[in-house]
Amino acid sequence: MVEDTRLIELIGVSKEFDGTMALDNVSLYIRKREFITLLGPSGCGKTTLLRILGGFEMPSQGQVLFEGKDLLPIPPYKRRINTVFQKYALFPHLNVYDNVAFGLKLKKLPAAEIGVRVRRLLELVKMTGYEKRDVEQLSGGQQQRVAIARALVNEPEVLLLDEPLGALDLKLRKAMQLELKAMQQQLGITFVYVTHDQEEALTMSDTIVVMKDGHIQQVGDSKRIYDEPQNAFVADFIGESNILDGVMLEDELVSFCGKKFPCVDSGFAPNEAVDVVVRPEDIMIVGEDVGMLTGRVVSLLFKGVHYEMVVEAGGFRWKVHSTAMQPEGSRVGISIVPFNIHIMHKQLEPDAGEDGA
Amino acid sequence: MKRSAFAGPYVVWMILSTVAPLLFVVYFALTDRSGAFTLENLAKFVDPIYLGVLWRSLYLAFYCTVICLLIGYPAAYFLASKDFARNQALYVLILLPMWMNFLLRTYAMMSVIEDTGMLNNFLKWLGLQPMEIIGTEGAVLLGMVYNFVPFMVLPIHTALKKMNVRLIEAAEDLGAPPAQVFYRVVLPLSLPGIVTGITMVFMPAVTTFAISRLLGSGNFFLFGDIIERQFLESNDWNFGSALSMVMAVLILISMSLLNRVDPKKEGSGAY
Repeated sequence: MVEDTRLIELIGVSKEFDGTMALDNVSLYIRKREFITLLGPSGCGKTTLLRILGGFEMPSQGQVLFEGKDLLPIPPYKRRINTVFQKYALFPHLNVYDNVAFGLKLKKLPAAEIGVRVRRLLELVKMTGYEKRDVEQLSGGQQQRVAIARALVNEPEVLLLDEPLGALDLKLRKAMQLELKAMQQQLGITFVYVTHDQEEALTMSDTIVVMKDGHIQQVGDSKRIYDEPQNAFVADFIGESNILDGVMLEDELVSFCGKKFPCVDSGFAPNEAVDVVVRPEDIMIVGEDVGMLTGRVVSLLFKGVHYEMVVEAGGFRWKVHSTAMQPEGSRVGISIVPFNIHIMHKQLEPDAGEDGA
Repeated sequence: MKRSAFAGPYVVWMILSTVAPLLFVVYFALTDRSGAFTLENLAKFVDPIYLGVLWRSLYLAFYCTVICLLIGYPAAYFLASKDFARNQALYVLILLPMWMNFLLRTYAMMSVIEDTGMLNNFLKWLGLQPMEIIGTEGAVLLGMVYNFVPFMVLPIHTALKKMNVRLIEAAEDLGAPPAQVFYRVVLPLSLPGIVTGITMVFMPAVTTFAISRLLGSGNFFLFGDIIERQFLESNDWNFGSALSMVMAVLILISMSLLNRVDPKKEGSGAY
C-alpha cells in the first residue's frame, strides 16, 4: 500500500534547454510505494523530470529532496534509484545473465549470491533459461523484461520507467501493464512511470500527474483525473471529450448551443465564459421529440464494444459513444444529465497548475 | 544483366593488381633465376642478419602501435565526447596531415629533427645542449608514429561515436563510477575500433621503408628496406619475393590473431 511519507519532493524545479523551458517551476511529491505516472504529450517535460530524478540532468532551478535530504549533489551511481530506459539500453557486449548481474558485480557481492539474485529476478520477469542468450537476439518484449530485471535486481528504493512499453504491440503492452503493476505491489517499490498513453496511465497508477509544456496540469488518482478533469486540456488528453464554449448564467445553470442546461457546478462569476466538457459515453441518444438538442447522425463507426457516432446538433459535432446503433443520416435527440456536464474555467495561456499535488 | 556483373570492373582490377602480383611473388620466391623450383631463397632468409632486421621491424612496429594507441585512444575519446560535439576544428587538425603525401611529411620531419634542424636551433636558443635525434631508432619511431597515428584515431573515434550514450547512463544508473563505466562499457564497446586501429597501424608500420631511410640516415634497415633493395639494387627478384612472402604470411598470422579479439566481426571502418 502507498504510505503517507513523502519519499521524493520537488520544489520549484525548472529546466531550461537552449532558451526553452522543458520544466517550468514544477513542484510535486512522490510517496513511498506509490505508482506515480507522469503523463503528457511529447515535449511536456515528463522525461526531463525523470532524468532529473535519475541524475542525468541537473535542474536550472529548484530543489529535489530524497527522504528530506538534497538529492541533486549525489551522482547517479550513488542514488538508490534505478532506471528502465526507453529502448532498454541493454549492454550489447554482455549476455542476459551479465546484463542483469551488472549492478551486483559492481557492489562486489560474492558470485554465489549474485547467481541467486539474478536467477530470482529472471524468474520474476519470466526469463528463466535465457541466461546465456545474446541480448540483441531477444524480441522487444524479452529485452524489456531483461531491462526491468537488470534494474530491480539492485533492490532500488525507486524505479524510474521511461515509456518502457512503447515498442511493444498492443496485446503484449496490456499484459505487461498488469505484470508491472503486480510486480510493483509485490516488491513494494516506488515506481515513477513516464508515458504518453492515457489508458496505460489509468490502468496502472495510484497517482497520475498530467503535464503540458513543462507545467503540471493536474495531480490525482485515475478516477479523479478522469471524472473531474481540472481543465479542458486534461479532459481532452484523458479520454475523449466534447469541449464547447459556454456561458455560466448563474450557479448550476449553463448555456451552450443556444440553450440553457442545468448542471451541478457553481461558484463562477455571472456570465463567465467557460469550457463545457461532456464525455462521449455520457451522451444519451433519445427520440427526436424528447432530446435536449436534436440533430442528425453524420458518421458511424463500429469500435467493438460500442459504436462511435458523430451527431451534428446545435451547431456542434458531438462525439457520442453508444452501444445502440443509429443509422447514418437518421435524426436523433441527445440528452445529458446535469451531473455529466463539467464546467471549467477558460485556460489563460500560459496557464499553470502550479499548486502541484 | 545480373547485379553481380556490376562488380565486374573491380574483379578485373583485383585480378590484375592483387591476384596476379601475388602469384608472381609466390612464383619468384620458389624459383631460381633459370626458373627451376627451389627453396634456396627461403633458406637464405634464415640468416642472423635478415632475422635481426625482421626483429627490428617487428619491435619498432609494435612500439609504434602501442604509442599510437596510447596517444590515439584518449584523442578519439575526447573527439567523440559531447563536450566536443560542436567543434570540428580538432577533428580537422587530426585529418589535416593525411591530406599531404607521407614522403613530404617525413621530409618535413627530417628538417625539424636533423642535427642543425629547427628543434636543435631552438634548444640552442634556449641555451640547451642540442640533441642527436636523426639517425636513431627513436627518430624512425617518431616518424612512424607521426605518420600512422590518424589511422588509430579514426576507427576508434568511429566506434565511440556509434556508441549509444544511454548505455553509459545505464552503467552509471546501475552503480558504476566513471572509471568502471569506462572499463566495463566504453572500452569493451570500442574494442572493434581498437582492433581496426591496431591493424591499420601495425601493417604499414611493419612494412615501413622510406621513413627508416630518411630519418634513420641509412644507419640501419628495416624489413621493407631490404625488400626494396633486392628489387632496385641487387636485382634479385627471387629473394625479394621470398622476403615479401615471409612478410605477407606474418601479417596474415597477426591479423587472424587480432580477429579473435573481435569475434562478432563488428570492426568499424576507418572513416
